[in-house]
Amino acid sequence: MSVRKVISALFAAVGFAAHAASADLPPPEPVSHAAMVKASIEKYIIPHVDALKVSAAQLPAAVNAVCTTGSPAASKALQDQFDKVVLAYAGVDFLRFGPMLEQGRREQISFWPDPRGFVGRQLRLLLLSKDDKIAEPGALGKQSAAVQGLPALETLMHDQDAPLGPGETARYRCVVARAIAANIVRLTTEVADGWEKPGGWADKLLNPGPSNDTYKSASESAVEIVKALIVGVSLTSDLQVKPQVDPKVKLAPPYQKSGLQKPYYAASVGSLHQLYDTLSLETWLPPDRLWMKDWVSGTWRTLESSDGYGGSADHAKREDPATPRELFDRMNGLRNMIANRLSVAAKLTVGFNELDGD
Amino acid sequence: MSLMAIDRRHLLLGTLAFVGATSLRSTVSLGAGSDVAYVTAARLANGSYGILLLNSGGKILREVPLSARGHDIAINPRSGRVVVFARRPGAFAVAFEMNRESAPQVFTPGEGRHYFGHGTFSRDGRLLYASENDIATGMGVIGIYDVGRNFKKIGEHSTFGMGPHEIMLLADGKTIAAGNGGLDTTPEAGRENLNTETMQPSLAFVGAESGNLIAKHEMSGALQSLSLRHVTQDAHGVVWFGGQWEGSPSETPPQIVGSVGIDRRLKLIEPFAKGGDDLKGYIGAMAASNDGRFIAASAPKAGHVVYVDTQTSKVVGISDLKDVCGLAPEGETDFAASSGFGIIRYETARASVISEQALQDIAFDNHLRRVS
Repeated sequence: MSVRKVISALFAAVGFAAHAASADLPPPEPVSHAAMVKASIEKYIIPHVDALKVSAAQLPAAVNAVCTTGSPAASKALQDQFDKVVLAYAGVDFLRFGPMLEQGRREQISFWPDPRGFVGRQLRLLLLSKDDKIAEPGALGKQSAAVQGLPALETLMHDQDAPLGPGETARYRCVVARAIAANIVRLTTEVADGWEKPGGWADKLLNPGPSNDTYKSASESAVEIVKALIVGVSLTSDLQVKPQVDPKVKLAPPYQKSGLQKPYYAASVGSLHQLYDTLSLETWLPPDRLWMKDWVSGTWRTLESSDGYGGSADHAKREDPATPRELFDRMNGLRNMIANRLSVAAKLTVGFNELDGD
Repeated sequence: MSLMAIDRRHLLLGTLAFVGATSLRSTVSLGAGSDVAYVTAARLANGSYGILLLNSGGKILREVPLSARGHDIAINPRSGRVVVFARRPGAFAVAFEMNRESAPQVFTPGEGRHYFGHGTFSRDGRLLYASENDIATGMGVIGIYDVGRNFKKIGEHSTFGMGPHEIMLLADGKTIAAGNGGLDTTPEAGRENLNTETMQPSLAFVGAESGNLIAKHEMSGALQSLSLRHVTQDAHGVVWFGGQWEGSPSETPPQIVGSVGIDRRLKLIEPFAKGGDDLKGYIGAMAASNDGRFIAASAPKAGHVVYVDTQTSKVVGISDLKDVCGLAPEGETDFAASSGFGIIRYETARASVISEQALQDIAFDNHLRRVS
């Protein structure tokens, strides 16, 4: 499936949900906190971590094909597969609790942002070492997070001076590329297993109580997911949009070498919208606050009509694309709306100080 | 102390960014400063940010608006000067008079620096020290400001570590304790940590005048991922710290509060019913009682305050308050605690609640300072 098809499928699902929500129906019953958690796990988290695992599982073969043949077709197939993994990752990047947080997996899968250029520096050191032991199972996992995941593989894929292929000059690069691909498979499998295994994080969220060491109530479980949504909006705003608004912020967009910055923005926003809809926070709004629902709906339309970089998305409903400034302000408003209004209406208290450490 | 020029353009930009603070709103007449008991940053009812000056009953005496979220406050009781620092990675600080209304002064850390949200006055009040980031290298610095010259930056010391957070002038008036969180951050990456796998947290004792390193204690082994961030000092001069766990949640160390001294090795508190995992790996603020015997550590993610008897290193009380973070001493041995839900509560070190006030639609930020 091409990048365009991946994004289109995502938006089709989101569009259907939005249409259903806007139909002329009586006000819905507030969705219980336990039901929010269950829906988020079943409809969002598990499908997304599975999608990441499944797409990542194809990477080693794609890398191997390039390193064996060096053909343009193999290179294109690798790029297509890489794109799918990156866009799948955009849907789980903000789930920064549980299996993603454990063992530093998030940074290992996707070491971005990278304002200090650690990926390039650490990868150069690794390539200079020419130590074939890096191919041994688990060896790469002991190296810097910067060389373990998608950005490092992308760097190898786009090095025009030394492209991946069957020749001797690319031999060690292919050793490293194969090790990275295998490592990404390991990491994404661990994340999925961490969620899905009996007694895993899904069970932990679904079974709160006095004996649960993390979540004492369904409300605490639901707050965890709402916090992830808020974190996701903040990350998209601060790392993808803000660099275009504040000239002092010099940060390369994510996966720019692959030309994925716009698809990544679309996947981030589309994923957040999907999780937002899944949580059904709006079902708790009293009649005099239903304007919030309209405001949020308009904000999602604005965010999704943009390509994130001053242009229009392919499926844009607005003729004039939103400026990065408008996107930034809308995202900040959305963050505040979720954290301070909608979650409060839903009796989910997301603490001002607990949201992130300092 | 090395001299350093401040980029005027940077200062101007910082001031313009802070245009919202050029006017003061007050709910009381001049002279209210004498009644001020606490100062804290907060999110206000309309969603904006500000500094609140409160009396001992928890009533708001005055608001000083901010254009962005503030963090900690440095108070010089002698002069009545108050300075609030931007939350990391912010680059503004605001000074104002506690006892009279006047236009706030805005100053910045200069080109290539940002604040980490904390600072402290020298004992005579002539200098202000702030924890800052040398963005290019990621190393921590203590910015030094001349209070009498409109907070002109006149020099820097090293903190001898990355990511300093709270710095505190110790009771000797000569030594600064710096909690080096060990985390590499840049404004470009927002609040993302760039080096959690290689972080080297430490607590450094730095000569306030000389800038020399007097002693440094590093977290190592199983504690290497415990980012040291908040500090306070007990009656015997021992520094107590609270950490933030940056490693795997499943490996959270049993204790994340401890003590250390210039000539005293780092020591964690005695095990108690609720360990580091129960505190969700995060201490948001520390305070010592006025008699110096008890210290309090807040855990906002877990909604607890842990009280420790410094004579035994044992926990003597644990209280529950959702999103609690700000802590300050009250009376001889009691404490005030503030929360993100507008609660100010007074309680004993045995965690008995004395009284509680709720301010509607106010979210108190991480730190609460007592005007002594």
